[in-house]
Amino acid sequence: MALAGLGHYPSVADAHDLLARIRADQGDDAAAIAAWHAALECDPAHVGARKGLAFVAFRARDFTTAERQLELAAMHAPHDATVMVALDRVRSVQPGAVAEDVPRLTDPASGLLLYDMQGMRLAGGVGDDGDETLADAVAAEGAGLTREAARLTRLLGLGRTRHFLVETADARIAMIPVADDAALLLHRGAAIPIGRLLALAGRAAQAADEWLERMR
Amino acid sequence: MNPEEWSDALRQLTGITGVLGALIISADDGLVVAETAIDELATADVAALAAALVSRAARCTAAMRSAVPSSIHLLAEQGAVLAVAGPPPLWLVAVARHDAELGRLRLLLRDFAGALR
Repeated sequence: MALAGLGHYPSVADAHDLLARIRADQGDDAAAIAAWHAALECDPAHVGARKGLAFVAFRARDFTTAERQLELAAMHAPHDATVMVALDRVRSVQPGAVAEDVPRLTDPASGLLLYDMQGMRLAGGVGDDGDETLADAVAAEGAGLTREAARLTRLLGLGRTRHFLVETADARIAMIPVADDAALLLHRGAAIPIGRLLALAGRAAQAADEWLERMR
Repeated sequence: MNPEEWSDALRQLTGITGVLGALIISADDGLVVAETAIDELATADVAALAAALVSRAARCTAAMRSAVPSSIHLLAEQGAVLAVAGPPPLWLVAVARHDAELGRLRLLLRDFAGALR
């Protein structure tokens, strides 16, 4: 029945979501993941699909992916208690430490973006699904933001920028300069505490510094 | 909140240890609307630079397909600039030493920015 519905309404995200749930119940995680990705293509803000992807990742003990999917869900539904509860659950079962102890600099879906001062992307990305066009656009704007922050601190005599935070209704973003000619953006949902965001960004900046050294 | 209450709020902000100045700016044109600051702080410069930074931050969040910024927080080696959006186009901005009570300052800014009318 779900397949028949999809045949009639292939652009309805909920139809893909329903099929994905059925596939997940049947234990066919690969098909479920494909269907949830199809749901997200129809509706990038589909929270159910994010929660579903988090569920199958959690079941496979891929806690990093599960947490990331739930954070993306939280961006679109910051007041959804079920997402927050699931996030707490994922974070509580991770062995030893939080999922992001090892920054995934080269993962385009990691929410980490490294760029140079010409606005060129060096590594990573900020989009939900590794969208390179989106990442390039953010790198270009990020370089402008980094320069503007440096201009402010220079003209007000505040010394070098350590970090810059931006809060929106659905996200928290940290920017940290790396070396003299690059910067790192960390993009997370609004649910993340500021202190944790800064700790993650600091660790990622250190990894980025080492990554840049290896590249030179 | 009337202009007298604005001044009272700004004085409370500058009463926090390490805060050098607090001002209400218009982010559209980078001008000071109200201010309380030590003499050494160039509040007109702060307003212009903070407005430019808010504008840049908005372009960046738009590129990320995220919502408009509601607050920004810039920490440098010797100081910090925090700003919280009030009713458009107003922003409440504070400049502080880097070792000021930034957590408390951030909360107060949010409280006062929400009450700006």
